[in-house]
Amino acid sequence: MNRPVKLALLFAAAAAVGHVALVMVTPYALMRIVTQRASQDGALINRFQFGPRTTKDSRGVVRPSPDLAYSTCVYDLSNGPVRVSAAPTPEQGYVSVSAFAANTDNIAVFDTTQRPGGVQFVLAREGQQTPPGAEVVISPSNRGIVLDRRLAANDAMFAAADQARRADTCEAISAPTTSTE
Amino acid sequence: MANRGPLSRLTIASTIALGLIAGLFSGWWAITGGMGGKNYSGWYGSRVTGSKDADPWLRARVAISGLLALNRNQAIYFTRKTDDAGEPFSENCRYSVTGGPLPGKWWSVTVYAADNYLPLNQDNALSFDATEVVSDARGQWSATLSPTRPESGAWASTSKAGTFDITLRIYQPEQRAQDDFASITMPKVTRIDCGGKA
Repeated sequence: MNRPVKLALLFAAAAAVGHVALVMVTPYALMRIVTQRASQDGALINRFQFGPRTTKDSRGVVRPSPDLAYSTCVYDLSNGPVRVSAAPTPEQGYVSVSAFAANTDNIAVFDTTQRPGGVQFVLAREGQQTPPGAEVVISPSNRGIVLDRRLAANDAMFAAADQARRADTCEAISAPTTSTE
Repeated sequence: MANRGPLSRLTIASTIALGLIAGLFSGWWAITGGMGGKNYSGWYGSRVTGSKDADPWLRARVAISGLLALNRNQAIYFTRKTDDAGEPFSENCRYSVTGGPLPGKWWSVTVYAADNYLPLNQDNALSFDATEVVSDARGQWSATLSPTRPESGAWASTSKAGTFDITLRIYQPEQRAQDDFASITMPKVTRIDCGGKA
């Protein structure tokens, strides 16, 4: 094999590595930035934070919807499962609760149309012990984020949604539990 | 000059460095420029946005321009950067958005500046939604995208939006819409005028 061919192959291999590495790392890196911000650099883990009304100044996450009220819980399953509970908004206003893994995948979503009494589920890693009878969502990563979205297209709707979401909980749980395997 | 001699370390290192740089550029080019997806009457959307089925490129694109997007069981997203004539949106122009019933429990259209955030204007009209438009007997509605408030009707302000794009969110979409985005009759976006000139 002559030198130009060797160099061309080396260049192509390095370019492929650079391309794939950037594509693969980007979701994890952006998710890490968001979870660090939402948890105030790790100080607020496994608890909901209730965001203010979305405005032009909302810069935490790209492309926010000004018609929704957002609440976030950065979860950490390294010490065991986390129980998530979200209350409905009065008059059946739209509420969804979604869980995202560290790679940004939306691993579960529930809404109060399906569950008018509110949303409850347990986040766990494969093999972790979980409470009997609980709806379990398996996360492929220890860390991720739970997002509560509520329709809040005007100030009055935001006030109602904000009052309702204060009953939301996101907390680490301990025994008694059963295995998810 | 021999073409078959051993490569020097400097040559190897330089070639690898140049290759990595080229790869990073091509990767960046591949994952920027929006959430990607197929074209549905000028609106771009993907059935695997937010889902575990997204390939690494789409996942990265969504992470950059639509982080924490829901999967299609809960919401479907369409973005467009041009009007029906194919011209890029501009904050200096006025546009008419017209459509009919959309297959979901609720929907909204939001204006985003090129940085993927809401435009920095004081109009408190960053979007319009299903509750704001007035539908006629056939379910047809219209709204306006413009830098100043229209005399009537639903409105989203494009003031300080620059070369903007818009996102249509359809929440709790009907099953047929989830299965086949092409079944959705998408809203039309027609330029009215620019700088007061048609």
